[in-house]
Amino acid sequence: MLNLLLRYINLMVLTIAILIIISFSLAYVFPGDTLTNISGIVPQSNEQRVALEAVFKLDRSIFVQFWYYIENLISGDWGVSSSSQISLLEEISIAFPATIELITYALLVSIFIGIPLGFIGGIWHHKPFDFGVVTFSVVSYSFPVFWLALIFITIFSLQLGYLPLSGRVNFLYDIPHSSGFILWDIMLADIPDKKDAFKDALRHLILPTASIALVTTAIFIRFTRRSIMDEMNKGYIDAAKSRGFTTKQIFFKHGLRNSLLPILPLMAMQISTLITNAMVVETIFSWPGIGNWIIQAIYQRDYPAIRIGMLVVSVFVVTLTITIEFISRAIDPARDKFQRGAV
Amino acid sequence: MAQFNLYQEEFHPSPIRHIWLEFKRSHFALIGFAILLLFCAIAILAPLLAPYDPNVQNTNTILLPPAWEGNGSISHIFGTDALGRDVFSRTLYGCRVTFGSSIFLVLIAATIGVALGTFAGMNKGIKSSILNHLLDSLMAVPTLLIAIIIVAILGTGLWNSMWAIILALIPQFVHQTRTFVREEMKKDYILLDKLDGAGSTRIFWSSILPSMFELLVVQSTLALSVAIIDISALGFLNLGAQSPVVELGASLSQSLEVAYSAPWLVALPGFCIFLMVLSINIVGEGLRNALRNRLIH
Repeated sequence: MLNLLLRYINLMVLTIAILIIISFSLAYVFPGDTLTNISGIVPQSNEQRVALEAVFKLDRSIFVQFWYYIENLISGDWGVSSSSQISLLEEISIAFPATIELITYALLVSIFIGIPLGFIGGIWHHKPFDFGVVTFSVVSYSFPVFWLALIFITIFSLQLGYLPLSGRVNFLYDIPHSSGFILWDIMLADIPDKKDAFKDALRHLILPTASIALVTTAIFIRFTRRSIMDEMNKGYIDAAKSRGFTTKQIFFKHGLRNSLLPILPLMAMQISTLITNAMVVETIFSWPGIGNWIIQAIYQRDYPAIRIGMLVVSVFVVTLTITIEFISRAIDPARDKFQRGAV
Repeated sequence: MAQFNLYQEEFHPSPIRHIWLEFKRSHFALIGFAILLLFCAIAILAPLLAPYDPNVQNTNTILLPPAWEGNGSISHIFGTDALGRDVFSRTLYGCRVTFGSSIFLVLIAATIGVALGTFAGMNKGIKSSILNHLLDSLMAVPTLLIAIIIVAILGTGLWNSMWAIILALIPQFVHQTRTFVREEMKKDYILLDKLDGAGSTRIFWSSILPSMFELLVVQSTLALSVAIIDISALGFLNLGAQSPVVELGASLSQSLEVAYSAPWLVALPGFCIFLMVLSINIVGEGLRNALRNRLIH
């Protein structure tokens, strides 16, 4: 167990190290001035340039620079955005929670819809209900997420006018920023119309969450369905049947748990897809998240922001992926090291 | 499994014919396959089918609705866009670019992925371990981020967005190939090859690759649907194909400005992408079922 833990920590540290090396080298690979790419400041005079180069150790060897870069990353001094001149750490600490909030709800929705539907379809497979479930999953897996979001906007915001078009919460409510998660912030906030603000924030959440969740739900349905079908065809299920257990007993005692095991690593694989979809959906709904922020950064050629944004998002995904893989290995030691979920 | 009685069979279908016999039992799969063939035909024949040049602007007919609506004209079946360009021709050319480039990039990603995966699967120790770490970190970076970084370095364009998606697709092929090669290398027929003195190159070409072919086809259909969605998403965000090149996602985002007065301009490209991906997914699903069932029946 300790061995396993050490191996996964090693994997995580190595992967993050590679990502840091990539993000450092991006400052050199991106077009334009390396000094601006690494600091976000455009030097106004030659003296300022020399002074800044001395600060960022650009006059020293590349290894010193890299070491200084890591030191800065750890101490939270991530440089400033070249377009807004605001500290990147500050901008990301506002934008990133918004994205995490969005993908968490999307993931929860797809777990609570996808997995039960997949189970029902898998147990009564090749029945009308299963046919409906499979059709739903294939069709919703085929939706381009940006088109889906536009359809939702057209139907629910423009035609029916039920749900708001963009943003996180109405500007009428002045929510103080504390954790960055809007629902949590509203609950903590000391404002008179808390209930209305909460409802309003929920209404803003519905459309983006639904757009992201649909594709993930489809994947969960397919995977759960296949998993339960494979599990219920195994020998030990037949053995239990021949001992006289009912299907219900077998399913809840054995089938359910064993077929849930391969779903956990699948969740790890979905995080990257979720973030990609969230980035697209955020730009459509003007959700102030990290995806929207990075896409604005590329439109403005804000290289320091792209460099740090890429590092933060990928480190987040790596950490989460490896943690989930470690958990799934720990609860299921029989799993092969290289076995990965497949849709 | 049913008893396999070789000598009483009058006719011995080849494995590929087996798959086809099993595949055509499902009507949905056949319909999906027909739509997929239609898109292939459009991708190849778009210049012959399109009635107008997709970039010619005709200012006399701006925002003409499709032919099935009251004000539509039969000379422009899908109507015209805000610059008076024929939407039918633009959709055909858009399908050609989106579908064609996706097939192309899946082929490249599959070739590189299989080569790397075989290398990782046949070797053990430090070489394959370094490769695994690199791939895991690459897999963790979402496709859109890879694309943004490549666009930041090289600038926008269809080719640059294609490189980004190739980079993002490779790890899946590598993982699949590596797992498969690892499993196959333990089997007896490979041992037999080894005893006969075959080197690893020969083992790969004559033993592993033929048995891996089906897995590759299924994986490619999955990758193709992802590729189409990604390439049109990049086009939608203005990070992919640029103006003279007609791409479905890009033309969708261009028509957002007039979406309220001309909703069909947003609906048509989106529906084409959806239909393309749907047909590929149905064919992929049918293929997987056929592969699973062909030995049972």
